Amino acid sequence: MKKLLALCLMAFTTVTMANYTLVVPQGPGGGLSVWSQIVATEMNKYLDEEIVLKHLPGAGNIAGVNEWHESLQEDSKVMVATSGGNAIKFLTNPSVVYDYDYDAIGIMNLNIIVAKRVGTDGSIFPKGLGHAPEAFAIAMLFCGPDMTMEQYKACFKENVNWVPGMKQKEFRLAFKRGETTGSRENPAAFKKHIKPVIDAGEAEMWFHHGILDASTGNHSDDANFPGYQFEILFEEKWGVAPSGEFYDAYKLVKSVRDGLQKAIFIGKWSPHAETLRAALEQVANNPDSIAAIQKKIGKYGWTIGEAGNKHVGVIMSMVTEDAYRTLIDFTQDALGEVVEYKESLVK
Amino acid sequence: MITALLLGTLYGLVIGLIPAAGATTGLVILFGFLSYFTDPYLGVIFCMATVAASTTGDTYSGVLLGIPGANSAAATMVDGHPLAKQGKATYALTAAITTSTVNGLLWGTLTFALLPWYTELIMIFGIPELWGFTMLSLACVGFVSNKFWVRSIIAIILGLWLGAIGTDPYSNVARFTFGWYYLEDGIQLMPMVAGLFAIPEIIDGLKQGKATTQPHDTRGQTWDGIKATWKYKWDALRGGAIGAFIGFLPGIGGGVGDWMAYGSTIAANPKEEFGKGNIRGVIGPEGSNNAQKATSMIPTVLFGIPGASYAAVLMGLFMYLGFELGTPDLSYDTKFFSSLTYGFMWGTVLVAAICIALNKYICRLSYVPYKYYFPILTGFVIWACVQYTGGWEDYMILALCSILGIAGKAYKYSRPAMLMAFILSYKIETLTIQMNALYTWDTLMIRPIFIGLIVCIILLFSLSISKNKMEYS
Repeated sequence: MKKLLALCLMAFTTVTMANYTLVVPQGPGGGLSVWSQIVATEMNKYLDEEIVLKHLPGAGNIAGVNEWHESLQEDSKVMVATSGGNAIKFLTNPSVVYDYDYDAIGIMNLNIIVAKRVGTDGSIFPKGLGHAPEAFAIAMLFCGPDMTMEQYKACFKENVNWVPGMKQKEFRLAFKRGETTGSRENPAAFKKHIKPVIDAGEAEMWFHHGILDASTGNHSDDANFPGYQFEILFEEKWGVAPSGEFYDAYKLVKSVRDGLQKAIFIGKWSPHAETLRAALEQVANNPDSIAAIQKKIGKYGWTIGEAGNKHVGVIMSMVTEDAYRTLIDFTQDALGEVVEYKESLVK
Repeated sequence: MITALLLGTLYGLVIGLIPAAGATTGLVILFGFLSYFTDPYLGVIFCMATVAASTTGDTYSGVLLGIPGANSAAATMVDGHPLAKQGKATYALTAAITTSTVNGLLWGTLTFALLPWYTELIMIFGIPELWGFTMLSLACVGFVSNKFWVRSIIAIILGLWLGAIGTDPYSNVARFTFGWYYLEDGIQLMPMVAGLFAIPEIIDGLKQGKATTQPHDTRGQTWDGIKATWKYKWDALRGGAIGAFIGFLPGIGGGVGDWMAYGSTIAANPKEEFGKGNIRGVIGPEGSNNAQKATSMIPTVLFGIPGASYAAVLMGLFMYLGFELGTPDLSYDTKFFSSLTYGFMWGTVLVAAICIALNKYICRLSYVPYKYYFPILTGFVIWACVQYTGGWEDYMILALCSILGIAGKAYKYSRPAMLMAFILSYKIETLTIQMNALYTWDTLMIRPIFIGLIVCIILLFSLSISKNKMEYS
């Protein structure tokens, strides 16, 4: 009992002595939580005051970020960590009140990698709002260019078994067993869960979405998986580069999700933003620190400070009326998600 | 290395002794302290010793106080607590710890020594088989229902509905949340367990205002407990095998294995009375829990897929220590596997030695009048339940679950049945959706394990309904 009380006291002391707080909108052990812990540990090496995580789970990562947006950001020492899931819900979920109008400490611009079982077309795929970019890409790869929205919807429904009710751990196992024929992962999880299946000769790389270039708004091939970018494969298969409203909607949704896959923000005009950014710069320049982060995420870089703000600005400028309406329309009708078009987001 | 083992074991034991705490809560607390491990392998040993010790330790509060140390100890409580009330706490606890230890060592050896060989097994157990197994677990609820079978059915329906609160797995839309964000992730397990079991027992104890049990002559009880394990070895081994199998299946953690082991013990001994202090009702489920903890490491380590809620936290802790579970690289790290084995196996042995040596002293806790326990227990239960967000919502949910538990206890609605249905609800729904999307009758009918499970389900449902009807009439 004394031991426990001592532990509780230590925990209490650690929290009350914390000078910076990083709000994590999920419980301990989740992907974003583990990433946040690793980043905070590395940043603490370069800060006089310690960053301590505060977990605020609920509503699929929405509740914590909403709470930070509405009240906690007023404390200039409280940051928030967000995921690609948060970003995609920002576009589609009516319960979201956060808006990304903050100061970026740092953003990791990542990618999602898609694989299929050998000898299949990958069309048995796990459903999920976070998988919307994969659905767009699969629809275009299967159905080709120059189709109307209604044709894309019909073609997708006819060709793809969009399997509902699967959590991440379930669809990983289902793919390994061959119950689903397509699957997708972030780079670190891909290495862990899909690469062994590929190495066993049971699966193969299908495509990835590419890396967002914040200066142009376009995507380039991922050096970790060269030659498998969607745009390259589409052109190889159909003889033309992808274009049109449907492709613009795809670019929007993949940019929002992958471009904001892992991010740390602080309230605008926080006097501590520069200190924190400087610490993150040091993390990014220290090979040991960056190796610790890349061990979890893969070899992807940071966009820090003002460059991060610009990166967010480019993503938000892609929310045009046509692309956004197409995104909502397809996500609702073909993917069966309950989503909302938010007039206020349109540039 | 020995220091990490000893500290992990003691910490796990303390966590296990706290009502409504358990391995998951104990591991969550560790997040703040991992940076103190300069050698990450020592962190692995500490964590595994914590898991082993807390699983053994959580039997105490269930048996002595009628408050399960974790949801996995709830099944042991059903017969263990009545034994404690009869002055046989040392007997019950020794039998429980011996059974737990033997199964922990047996299944721990099979798990950690043969870890690479299990890869193929999990691949033949697909969605239909998981669905069948989950339905089989629900069928077992019939065995833990009380004689008021209509009320038990109501309790099961209520449990299923409470488990469905959160997000609709088909449409991803919030349901039954009454516009409350907090509920979109569903009701958390800890307040549900604490509200249904811990709080009603604490209040009941306070109302009675006396000791949980009266002092009895405990001489010979330790040896009797060990002998009972040998005498009912088949109940112990059957429980261990069930727990081991459940632990092996990803996602079906918690108390499912224990309840199934308890149900199977009842089914195997139809002429005996359970629920009033039958030592077999302690040995059966206790065989399950340590075995389950051991085998749940198989999907966790091999695939990075947590076998239970504690394993999800463990994955996060190991990630923090620099070990990525499920990566091919890790399978070459023999030191990691040695640390895993060392921590769990020696943690199991050490905690058993401590518990058996000090049993009669620890059991004296039950002689202390409840009024002294009340503030401490209430404090720990509340503390355990507000680890989720720490906000007022956690307190509110605990309060609502407590009202449900108190009402269930007062009006004899089966709380174990309600809890089981709550735990299984989401699993049944999602597996049904997945099975419908991926399989047809034709493809299902060529799966022998699935068909075998369906036969078992039909038999179990029939048995439980006829048994309950007989008791009702």
